[in-house]
Amino acid sequence: MMNSVTRKAGVVAATAFGVLLTSGGFGTAVFAQSGLPEGFKKGDLAPEPSADMVEAGKRVYFTKCVWCHGVDGAGDGPGADRLWPRPRNFNQGTFKIRHTASGELPLFDAKKPVPGQNDLFETVTHGLPGSAMPPWEGILSEEQRLQVLSFVTTQLVKDRKFTDKQSETQTVLQLADLKPKPATDESKKRGSELIVEKKCVECHGMEGRGDGNAFNLKDDWGFSIQPANWHKCWNFRGSRQDPYNVANIFRTFSTGVNGTPMPSFADSTSVDERWDIANFVNSLCERNALGEPLPIDPLTDKPKINFVIPSDMVEGEIPSDIDAEPWQKAPRRYVAMGGQITHKPRNFVNRIDDIWVRSLYNDKSIVYLLEWDDRTKSVAEGKLPWGPTQVNIDIKEQEPKTGESGSIAANQNNYAVYNDAIAIETPVKWKELPAPIKPRYLFGTNEQFPVDIVKWEADGSIRAFKGTGWDKDFEERDNYEETLKVLKGEWKNGRWYVMIERPLGNKKDQDYDEDTFFEVGQYIPTVFFAWDGHNGDAGRKMAVSAFYYTFMNPPVPQETYIYPVVIAFGVVLLEGWVLTRRANKKKGKTL
Amino acid sequence: MKALMSLGALVGVLGLLLLGGMIFDVVPSNTVRLIEGYMPMQMLFEVGCYVLGFAGLSYMLNAMGMALPRFWQGIGFWVFLMMYLKFRVYPPIPFSVRAMYGTVGLVTVFMWVSANEEDWKKFKQPILNVLDAQTGMNRLLRYMYLVLLPILIGGFSFNAMMPKSEEPIELRTVHPAPPASTKVHGKTYTLQTSQSPYRVNPEGKYDQEYSNANIVEQGMGRLMKPNANPWDEKNQGYLKYVREGGEIFFQNCHFCHGDNLNGRGLHAFAFNPIPANFTDPGTIAQLQETFIFWRVAKGGIGLPNEGFPWASVMPPWEQHLTVDEIWKVILFEYWHTGYYPRTWD
Repeated sequence: MMNSVTRKAGVVAATAFGVLLTSGGFGTAVFAQSGLPEGFKKGDLAPEPSADMVEAGKRVYFTKCVWCHGVDGAGDGPGADRLWPRPRNFNQGTFKIRHTASGELPLFDAKKPVPGQNDLFETVTHGLPGSAMPPWEGILSEEQRLQVLSFVTTQLVKDRKFTDKQSETQTVLQLADLKPKPATDESKKRGSELIVEKKCVECHGMEGRGDGNAFNLKDDWGFSIQPANWHKCWNFRGSRQDPYNVANIFRTFSTGVNGTPMPSFADSTSVDERWDIANFVNSLCERNALGEPLPIDPLTDKPKINFVIPSDMVEGEIPSDIDAEPWQKAPRRYVAMGGQITHKPRNFVNRIDDIWVRSLYNDKSIVYLLEWDDRTKSVAEGKLPWGPTQVNIDIKEQEPKTGESGSIAANQNNYAVYNDAIAIETPVKWKELPAPIKPRYLFGTNEQFPVDIVKWEADGSIRAFKGTGWDKDFEERDNYEETLKVLKGEWKNGRWYVMIERPLGNKKDQDYDEDTFFEVGQYIPTVFFAWDGHNGDAGRKMAVSAFYYTFMNPPVPQETYIYPVVIAFGVVLLEGWVLTRRANKKKGKTL
Repeated sequence: MKALMSLGALVGVLGLLLLGGMIFDVVPSNTVRLIEGYMPMQMLFEVGCYVLGFAGLSYMLNAMGMALPRFWQGIGFWVFLMMYLKFRVYPPIPFSVRAMYGTVGLVTVFMWVSANEEDWKKFKQPILNVLDAQTGMNRLLRYMYLVLLPILIGGFSFNAMMPKSEEPIELRTVHPAPPASTKVHGKTYTLQTSQSPYRVNPEGKYDQEYSNANIVEQGMGRLMKPNANPWDEKNQGYLKYVREGGEIFFQNCHFCHGDNLNGRGLHAFAFNPIPANFTDPGTIAQLQETFIFWRVAKGGIGLPNEGFPWASVMPPWEQHLTVDEIWKVILFEYWHTGYYPRTWD
C-alpha cells in the first residue's frame, strides 16, 4: 500500500501546499486555487430516481426499515427509544457519513452503486457499526438497496430536495485521487500534535477515548450523543466494515458529521495535515501484541473472540505495575460485553461493550488485570440506598416511549450516579458439576449450584459474595474478603485499570463449598459483569459477558521433549524396514 | 465434446483463480458471498463446478499432451478439498470436523485412483520410483524424505504434546424435546392443541390459509407482498397483529435476533452461542408455533437439561410480555421470514 510512489506524491503535495500554509492554527483557511477546500471538487446533482424505483422502494421500506425509522421517516419507529445512538430522522436530510462538504446532502444516485460515489448506498450496504443499523448486503439485493434509498430520498427527506439546483450544491471530496500518506512515525507524531492544536482532544479526550466532553453534547434534535472512542475503530459509524482503513477517518475528518458538533476540518487543515491526523487516530485503534490490526469477525464486525483467558505462571510476587515484564508478556483477551437484557431491569443501552483481560498466577494466588473504557469516573455521592448484598433493588426499566420522562432519551447522560464496578463470577465446585448442569451465567442457579462472585467498586471496595440465582440477593462469604487484594484501581483518561488478586484456593484456608478453587491446566468457567455508574447501572442493570474460561497454563511436562524424539527414531527404523523390503523384493524379482 | 470440455476447463480455471484471489486477498474476500440459508446448496454447487472444471482441465491437458500424472491429480484434488473447507467455508469448521471430511475425501481419492489395476499402477509408480532411486533426482528425493519425514513427524508430535488452551467443545441439542404442556401466567397450554389466537382473517376466524397468503415472499430480500402492508391503517385481523408483533419485536427482541431476524443484533457479538437465526430454514421453519410459544415464554432458564441451560441468555419472556404479546411476536417472526409454522400432523 505504501510504495515509494505514494510517498513521493505525499511529499510533493506537502511541499506544494506547505507554501499555502501559514501557522496552521485553528481557523486558518486552506484553499486550493478553485476556492474550494483542498481535496474537494464541485459535483453535479444526481438525476431524480424513476417513479418505479420509488414505488418499489416503499415496499422495501415498509418491510425492513419502518420498525426503527418510523412511518414518516422521522426516526421514531417502535424500536427507536431503546436505541442509542438513535435511528436517523430522515426528514431534515441530515446524514452523517458523506463525501460532500459539511452541511451538504450526501451523494446518492439511484443508477450508480459505485463505492466512493454513493454515500447512502454504502451506508445501507455496510451498515453503521456501533449502532443498530446492520449491513444490508446479502440481505437486500443491490437493486433493492437503491430502490429503498430512492424512496427515502424523495419521500421521507422532506425539508430538502436532492435535485433542487437552487438550494443544493455538491462539493465532493476526491478521496480516490488522494493517495494516503504512509503512516510513518513522523506523520503520526505530527498528527498527535495536530489533534491538540485543532482541539480534537477537547471532545475526544487526551487519549482519544471519547471522554473529553462526555455530557454536554447534543445532536440537531436535542438528543444526547457522545464523541467517538478512537481505540474502538470497529465502532466507527463510517468504518464501512473496513475499520483499520485510514481513508475512512480522513473522510470523516474532512467532511464532518452532519447533525452533530463534529465539524469539517477541510477549511482549516491541508490534505497533508489531515492524513497525519488520520494516521495518528488510526494508530490508536486496538492492535495485537505485534502491532497488527485485530482480526475482525465478518459475522459481527467486531474483533474475533477467543473464549479462553490464559494465565501465565510467575515465580514469586505478581507485580502490580502494568509495565512490568510479566504483564507486558501476558496475552490480552478481548471480552465482549452485551447489555443484561434477560431479567428486569434490562439494560438496553450498555455503555461498556468490551473489557480487556490479562491474568497471571503464582503458587498462592491468581491476578486478573481488567482494563475497560468508560468515559467517566463514577463514584456515588454519599451512601447508596441499598446494601452491598442486595440484588433486587429499586432501579426502574425504561418504558419504550420517546419524549416521556421515563424514556432512555430523556435520561441518557442524566442518571443518578452510582459506582462504576466490575465483577468476576466463577462456579463453586465447578469440577463436580454433573455433565449437563452448569450454573446459569447470571448469579448462579440455586443453592445446589452456587457461584463465587468477586466484585470491585469505584469507591475502592472489594467484596466476595455467593450467588444462588438471578433473583436472589447475594450471600456474604465468611472471611474471604480478607484474602482479596486490589493491586490497582485507577481511572485515567477514559479508561479503568483494575487489578484483582484472589487466592487459588486450598482446603486448609478456604471454604470448598463457597469459594472457587483454581487448578492448573483446567478450564474454569468465568463470567464478567461491568457497571457504568453514570449510566445509572446498579444491581442487575449492567453489562454481561458470555461464559469464558480461565486457563492457568501448566509448565511444560518433560515427556513433551522425550516422546517426539522417540517417535522420530521409530520413523527412521520404519523407513529402513520399508527400503530393505523393497530392495529385497526387487532383488528377488531380478535374480 | 471438445468444446464442452474446454468450457469446463475455463470454468474450473476461472473459479480456482477467483477462490485463490479471495483467499490471498487479491480480490475482496466477499466477491462471491455465501448466502445465508442457502449455504449448503451453494457449497455443493460450487464443489460440483470445480469437479467439472478439473475434469475439463485434465481433458484439455491430455489433449495438448501435457497430461498431469494420476499421482499428482489425486494429491492435488485432496489438497484443494482441504483448502476449500479451511478457507472458503465461514463460519470456520473446527479442525476435528475438517479432519473427518479430509479422511472421507482421502478414501474417495483412493477409490478413484484404484478404480482399475492400470490406474492404481500409474498412481503407485512415482512412489515406487522414489523407493528404487534409479535416477539421481529420485535418489535425492529419497534422501530428503529419509531426513525430513522423521523431523516432520517428530515436530508434529511435539506440537500435539505441548499443553494448549483451546476452547473446549460443548455439544448442545438445538431443538430439545418440548414438554406436553406449559404453564404461562397461570394458564396451562397444551402444545399439541393450542393455537395462535391472532392467526385470523379479517372476520376474526382462525385461518391458516389466509395468513399464509399474506406472509413476505421468499427470495432475495424477503419483501412483503405488494398488497399486504402491515402498516396499512385499514388492516383487520392477521396483518394488524403482525404490525403489533413487530412493534414488540423491535422493542424487545432485535437486540439479539437482529433487525433482519438473522441473529445478528446489537448485543449478539457478546454472546455464545450466538442468538438463533430465524431466516435459517433450520430454526422456526422446522418448528410448530406452540413450540416457539414454549421457548419464548420460558427462555434459556426454562430449557430442559439436554439444552444446557447455562449457555443461553434468552429471557423467560413471561417476565416481560403478556401471553397475547408473545403470540403476536411469534406471528411477526413467521411473517417477516416468510416461513409457515410446522403443523403437528
